Amino acid sequence: MIEVKNVTKYHSGRPVLENISFRVPGGTNLGLIGPGGSGKTLLLKIICGLVEPDEGNSFIKGQQVQGLGLAELTKLRFDIGLLFQNYALFDYLNVTDNIAFPLRQAGKHSEEEILKMVQESLNKVDLPHIGHQYPNELSGGMKKRVGFARAVIPQPPIVLYDDPTAGLDPVTSSKIFLFLKAMKEERGVTSITISHDIEGIKDICDNFVLINRGRVVFYGSREEIENEKMPLVRQFWQGFSADTLG
Amino acid sequence: MSFLEKFLKMVGTKFLDWSFEIGGMVLLAWEIFRNLLPPRMDGPETWRNFYRVGVKSFPIVVVTAMLTGAIMVIQSGMYIKQYGAYGLLGWGAGYSVLREVGPIMIGLMFSGRVGANNTAELGTMRVTDQVDALRALAIDPIRYLVMPRVLAMVVMLFLLVVIGDLTALIGGALTGEALLGVDSELFAWSIINYILLEDFTHGLIKALAFGYAIALISCHFGMRTSGGAVGVGRAVNASVVTSAIAIFVIDYFITYMAA
Amino acid sequence: MAQKKSADMSAADMTIEQQVYDDEPGLLSAFFAAFGEPVVYVTRTMKELNSLFFITLKYVIAGKRRPAEVIAQMHEIGNRSVVFIAVTLGFLGMILIYQAGFQAMKITGDLTLLGALFLQLLMREFGPTITALMIATRVGTGMAAEIGSMVVTDQVDAMKMCAAEPIEYLVVPRFIASTIMVVILTILAVLISYLVGSLTAYTAFDVNFRTYFDLSFISAFDVGIGLTKALAYGMTIPIIACHAGLNVFGGSEGVGRATTQSVVNASLAVVVIDFIISGLGYVLLALL
Repeated sequence: MIEVKNVTKYHSGRPVLENISFRVPGGTNLGLIGPGGSGKTLLLKIICGLVEPDEGNSFIKGQQVQGLGLAELTKLRFDIGLLFQNYALFDYLNVTDNIAFPLRQAGKHSEEEILKMVQESLNKVDLPHIGHQYPNELSGGMKKRVGFARAVIPQPPIVLYDDPTAGLDPVTSSKIFLFLKAMKEERGVTSITISHDIEGIKDICDNFVLINRGRVVFYGSREEIENEKMPLVRQFWQGFSADTLG
Repeated sequence: MSFLEKFLKMVGTKFLDWSFEIGGMVLLAWEIFRNLLPPRMDGPETWRNFYRVGVKSFPIVVVTAMLTGAIMVIQSGMYIKQYGAYGLLGWGAGYSVLREVGPIMIGLMFSGRVGANNTAELGTMRVTDQVDALRALAIDPIRYLVMPRVLAMVVMLFLLVVIGDLTALIGGALTGEALLGVDSELFAWSIINYILLEDFTHGLIKALAFGYAIALISCHFGMRTSGGAVGVGRAVNASVVTSAIAIFVIDYFITYMAA
Repeated sequence: MAQKKSADMSAADMTIEQQVYDDEPGLLSAFFAAFGEPVVYVTRTMKELNSLFFITLKYVIAGKRRPAEVIAQMHEIGNRSVVFIAVTLGFLGMILIYQAGFQAMKITGDLTLLGALFLQLLMREFGPTITALMIATRVGTGMAAEIGSMVVTDQVDAMKMCAAEPIEYLVVPRFIASTIMVVILTILAVLISYLVGSLTAYTAFDVNFRTYFDLSFISAFDVGIGLTKALAYGMTIPIIACHAGLNVFGGSEGVGRATTQSVVNASLAVVVIDFIISGLGYVLLALL
């Protein structure tokens, strides 16, 4: 469903991502983990064509993303939902207009249908009464959930989550992980999840990729990562102190 | 609320806002004055700022001045051609450039290049708590951040206007030769014969005043920034707008007093 | 070379620390780089601005119409600049009348042409150009800061993911609004400056209003060149400001950098365009 082939990206002459390859079969969730600054967010943006890689390609449903024209790219993006790390809510629109934005752009529904769908999705993320509020009036957890609602409202078959629980309290985090789980089990979406919350994504991801310094250090299933002996992987998986990391 | 009430409220709020900003600038001006006699400021920081303010805005000032001189020659050329008074071209362009257009154009460019940059820089330091960090290290932000910048801006705008005046006249002479067919010797003769030293110093006094005003305004808005990336943008906007108003108002009063 | 070194090491053995690269350029190449860099920067920026302009133009002609957005931007650019323009151009009128009046008194003592020549110069040169510089200052920074913070907070990427093209959605309404409003503000600025000038001429030099309001010098050429300039400025400023905003990288520092870049480039563009149009105007006048 999603495939990344030999992706390399340089930033002022230095490689930020080097020769990254993996694939995500349909209906599964891939956990993308690694230390901060290792290029995980950049990789997500490359996958959906927001950033051009210097080498390599990404494929969505077998279609190569790089080299697509604007119209084709736009069409492809209707199938992808992206939850941004910093919410990326439009701060000049209220919550309802924010969530309705992708539907209005698609232009497939009437205005009443859109408002009904927005209300349903707000109910689903447990924020039924905030439609008229603006993003700067919301707390971080609320913004994250609104961002989630906006990413998934066009019912895309592919959803990419960029650190969905960063900076949230444990209760809100577990709520978000429940949404992620529901998305996979009820709608069968294919997804990639970046997270630093290993305990949280242990249960919802089928495969894992560990990136360090822009290279894939580990790529395998859940059973494989549990039995992996590589020190860096062990540290990440069990959250050991950084003794051997220096 | 009635329309009148709304209107009065708006006027009142605007008035209070402006009083607040102007009061802040006066306080900052007092702080600067106090640190100037005897001069108390960070030496290396001052040199660094001299370099940054002067050298970095040099190319843009030269280009602006060159084009300004050229434009003034074109504008006066339209009249001079009509009357055939080619000997007056150097005077016409030189007089307006030295007294008025030169300092204003270079001042506006300087405000955009250096003033805006200064506000953005101080504002970023402010929103990322670097200014408070300085205070925590017992370093006076006025002495370390503001004083070097103010001094550098006043001195450098003065020097840039001197250089700018010269390049503007060169640009004017080149345009006169290329477009109007006026010999550059005649152009120079016209300047030497008709332009007074007072015309030149008039512009330089303006440059000093503009430099101080831009420095004060940009430091004030920079040091008062709050509210993240959006706040930095807003501060830069307020800084350049106020600087532009200040340039025209100060220019008017200097012109008025010199007359 | 440095890349190779890191490739030889197994990534798993690496520790999380800064990598050191040893590719410092030599003195000679640094010397050439100092000359080449501005040239490269200017050509690249010009190319980007050019393509942004044509894409915008394409959307203006063929894209979706968003009257509400355009009107909101017109309010932001126009209404909120009126006081600023009135103050700066009003003072400019007083300054220019003073300077011109004193010079005329000294040389000829004849002030009958003061108003007529002032209006002509205002239309040809100072009205459009100073207004545009003010708009570049106020609106240019505003646009760059607004779009820049949208880029920094990923809102522009979010827009793309929602299948909304940022150029169509953000640049086009600003472009249309600015083109219209700069022309209107220029007309307003010329009027204000001219009227304030008349008061100054009356109080300082006793020029009576009937002598001052002498329109006999004004021809279609003066009006035409003023409006051409205003139109060109009105289209250039939003393109430069939006370009600076869309190319922001790196937090609040980046937004600050973009706003500065926007004022400088927009002001410089105004001066360059002024030079080009004035030069062409002169040639045209000579031909007529």
